[in-house]
Amino acid sequence: MKSPVVNIQNFTLKFQHSTVLDELCWHINAGENWLLSGKSGSGKTVLAKAIAQLIPDYGAITTTIGLRSAIHYVANWYQFKDLEGQSNFYYQQRYNKQSVETTNTVGAELRYFGKKHQLDFDEVIPILTALNVNDLLSATLIQLSSGEHKKLQLLKALWLRPKLLILDLPYNGLDSASRKNLNHLLDGVATSGTQLILIANDTEIPSCINRFAKIEHGKIVESDEMQPRKFELLEVDRPLPEFLTVNNWPEPVGHLIKMIDVKVSYGDKIVLEDINWEVKPGEKWALQGPNGSGKSTLLSLICADHPQAFANNFYLFGNKRGSGESIWEIKERIGLISPELHWYFDPSATVWQSIVSGFYDSAGLFCEPGYTKSRQADELIDYFGLMPYKNTLVSQLPLGTQRLALLGRTIIKNPELLILDEPCQGLDTQQIIHFNKLVDELCKNGTTLIYVGHYESQLPTCIEKRIVLENGRIKALENILEMAVQD
Amino acid sequence: MANYFNTLSLREKLNQLGVCDFMESSEFLDGVNALKGKKLVIVGCGAQGLNQGLNLRDSGLDVSYALRKEAIEGKRDSWKNATENNFKVGTYEELIPSADVVINLTPDKQHTAVVNAIMPLMKEGATLSYSHGFNIVEEGMQVRKDLTVIMVAPKCPGSEVRAEYVRGFGVPTLIAVHPENDPQGKGLAQAKAYCVGTGGHKAGVLRSSFVAEVKSDLMGEQTILCGLLQTGSILSFDKMIEKGIEAGYASKLVQYGVEVITEALKQGGITAMMDRLSNPAKIKAFEISEELKTIMRPLFQKHQDDIMSGEFSKTMMEDWANGDKNLLKWRAETGETAFEKTPAGDVKIGEQEYFDNYTLMVAFVRAGVELAFETMVDAGIKPESAYYESLHETPLIANTIARKKLFEMNRVISDTAEYGCYLFDQACKPLLSDFMKKVDSDLVGKNFNEGKDGSVDNRKLIEVNDAIRNHPVEKIGSELRKAMTAMKAIKTV
Ligand SMILES: NC(=O)c1ccc[n+]([C@@H]2O[C@H](COP(=O)([O-])OP(=O)(O)OC[C@H]3O[C@@H](n4cnc5c(N)ncnc54)[C@H](OP(=O)(O)O)[C@@H]3O)[C@@H](O)[C@H]2O)c1
Repeated sequence: MKSPVVNIQNFTLKFQHSTVLDELCWHINAGENWLLSGKSGSGKTVLAKAIAQLIPDYGAITTTIGLRSAIHYVANWYQFKDLEGQSNFYYQQRYNKQSVETTNTVGAELRYFGKKHQLDFDEVIPILTALNVNDLLSATLIQLSSGEHKKLQLLKALWLRPKLLILDLPYNGLDSASRKNLNHLLDGVATSGTQLILIANDTEIPSCINRFAKIEHGKIVESDEMQPRKFELLEVDRPLPEFLTVNNWPEPVGHLIKMIDVKVSYGDKIVLEDINWEVKPGEKWALQGPNGSGKSTLLSLICADHPQAFANNFYLFGNKRGSGESIWEIKERIGLISPELHWYFDPSATVWQSIVSGFYDSAGLFCEPGYTKSRQADELIDYFGLMPYKNTLVSQLPLGTQRLALLGRTIIKNPELLILDEPCQGLDTQQIIHFNKLVDELCKNGTTLIYVGHYESQLPTCIEKRIVLENGRIKALENILEMAVQD
Repeated sequence: MANYFNTLSLREKLNQLGVCDFMESSEFLDGVNALKGKKLVIVGCGAQGLNQGLNLRDSGLDVSYALRKEAIEGKRDSWKNATENNFKVGTYEELIPSADVVINLTPDKQHTAVVNAIMPLMKEGATLSYSHGFNIVEEGMQVRKDLTVIMVAPKCPGSEVRAEYVRGFGVPTLIAVHPENDPQGKGLAQAKAYCVGTGGHKAGVLRSSFVAEVKSDLMGEQTILCGLLQTGSILSFDKMIEKGIEAGYASKLVQYGVEVITEALKQGGITAMMDRLSNPAKIKAFEISEELKTIMRPLFQKHQDDIMSGEFSKTMMEDWANGDKNLLKWRAETGETAFEKTPAGDVKIGEQEYFDNYTLMVAFVRAGVELAFETMVDAGIKPESAYYESLHETPLIANTIARKKLFEMNRVISDTAEYGCYLFDQACKPLLSDFMKKVDSDLVGKNFNEGKDGSVDNRKLIEVNDAIRNHPVEKIGSELRKAMTAMKAIKTV
């Protein structure tokens, strides 16, 4: 028998006293393309990194792939640096015209990558087209949304065509058309000799995938077909911490948000145009649209993160924006989570500090919270099942757990307006169900909700209305509940 | 115009130098109210102008920009900065007459011309604000008696002023009211509100005076902050080349080393920085820094004396009148140094390696911080002010060197700082030439601990630790740092 391409024998890995991988064995043979799934925190990412030789494997992994560079790992998280080699950004920076030129353009970044790996630039063009990012070539890295960063990462990997390509949650942040295109592209590279390990909990996968595995209790469990998803029963009956069920918000006004002909542009480039939108207190909205359609810019206006708010006609909480309010007065009333906020979050904060910082709308904790707030944080940490990680740095946790911690930060002050921008990115199915139940629960008491999610199936049930953007304009404003009744 | 400081009696000089009061957060409970609804017009939209303006507007204040005609017509960067962020922009004539507060954020050397142009347009009883007291103190600018004159000086480059604000924090700030111009007694309330508007109140505010701010700011930037970091970097690089260390490695060690080393200052002062060294290296660094202090003390004193007497500002303004002859010559020379011209090599240097292989810089930093602090305090400046202008700002300036070497540092700092930095560097290099002859590559370029067994004498170590920990800059520093524990860590390569 031919020896496997990757051979893993008795691989054990511990993280802070708990065993993540337990004498794990796994063979990856020629011609096999794997889907690897498992709960958040089950060890998928560390296993992938060990295979890609990014972390030590203590001799447990051997491979017949000669060159290290022939294995390429696409992380579930993206990174970039400014022209001076630093990544000391803050997340509002991309909206600030003066700051965008401090990073490379996508085109320059790709040229650099191509040169480093001796790739032909002509070959990247079809991939650019397939992922619909041609017009990003002149954008600078800091201007990209998380979905666009994900595409850039994938695009490099596809261009590189390594012998073994490991993709860790590649669908994160991609709209549904891009997910389809990606699957198509992956089938293409698989045909031309690249083997795949795809880490995902998705059902729409490339057709070249022919082996399935998941990590359970630190070991690989293999199968020849996609396992029907089994969910453990969740303890959703646990009551919400009491402090989240009472609110003392100001008297409701006619509309929480009212935008009149809102427009945002950078020079000639129009990002949003003709936006007329009203959100009334207590409404639950889904905000949807393909990558690059203007969703995050729209939200940044609401969250007082965008300087062009001052050139527009819109009302927040009943006041005209720019009429003497401070951004902190606005932020106080909004709970926000977004992939960008997560990306730029203070890496030196613990779970507890991150959650408490939600009281102050600061990216990192800068003051002593006092007794009541500390207690509330503990209650919430317990509610989320994060007690074991209370004093762990957020950045050291698995992505799904990081997200939960930041979600805790978002809701801890029980805000009247919740803005959840792809909150479930990186969560496993079970966590998503848990989280959406929580959103339903939280919103019972009149919370207004704006929820961005690419996956229809992952919306909380309380959603009643939808706004869809395309190329910076409103494509649809509709009432989902009514439509459901009509169907 | 006469130097304002020199017109004061000795008693009044000491009096103003000694204004220094670390403000409690309860002093800021009134928020931005004192400026709410007032028209704030910023003159100049550069590093400080833009970023302070963005913060003030985000705090609910009414901000617009008055730019000179040429800038508007030529659509210069300052015009772009303001308009692209949707600020109202106008000429002096259009905006100044209706302004309640005019904030002058143009380069210091231009202040006399700028203030002379805007003052006649300012309405009765309005306020004029600065972020540095040079014009008032060194040039003795006489401001109309009905106007209030205040200062709000963030102790950070403009980009940090913005970044910390949106993170929900702020940068330490000095505020002052000019005693000659506070006819309605509203100056302090406005300065405090301004400070809340820029977020400074969250990171610690020092009530100061124009005089104390200028005399300490100039001293800090000329000596430890810019001057000594420049001299130390150039000498270290040249030494490594002389000793046969690979040029790319040497360049990287110097460029990033100073940032990594001084990062420790932010958390725990000189003590924390020295504690990163092995015991033998710490004792060595202590000894050579003592030697450096002895050699450089007269130079530090000369700088402080010239700043106090006005000699410094006089020579600088003369050079400016002379077409910046010296400034341009020194700037060109700095650009031509071997360090500046050698790109950092593509080598990995671990965080601890920066300490172990660059003990010399640790010694430079300790000597410079302590000397600057001591010299300022001897001259009548209060320890709190001296701390901000020495230890506190060192890592921030070091960060600019990490970005693009000395060129970047000298570009980011103000024009007065740049001139003073070169002045110091010119005098300091020859002063250190004998000292540098004795320095070998174990202090710079190679691991100091290599080939040593690591043993030290207990008593010696205790003595050294005591001297480091009990220095007055450490005492005041640990108090002030409590107020701003959250200064985020700067990431390095
Ligand atoms: N840099 C720092 O780290 C720092 C820290 C604290 C305080 N400060 C103080 O902040 C003030 C501003 O410094 P900065 O570093 O922000 O300066 P800067 O970046 O050089 O910006 C100066 C601005 O003033 C304008 N300007 C230049 N000459 C002018 C003139 N003659 N008349 C009118 N406008 C003029 C420039 O615009 P145009 O040339 O386009 O007209 C530019 O927008 C200084 O007092 C400085 O001491 C600086």
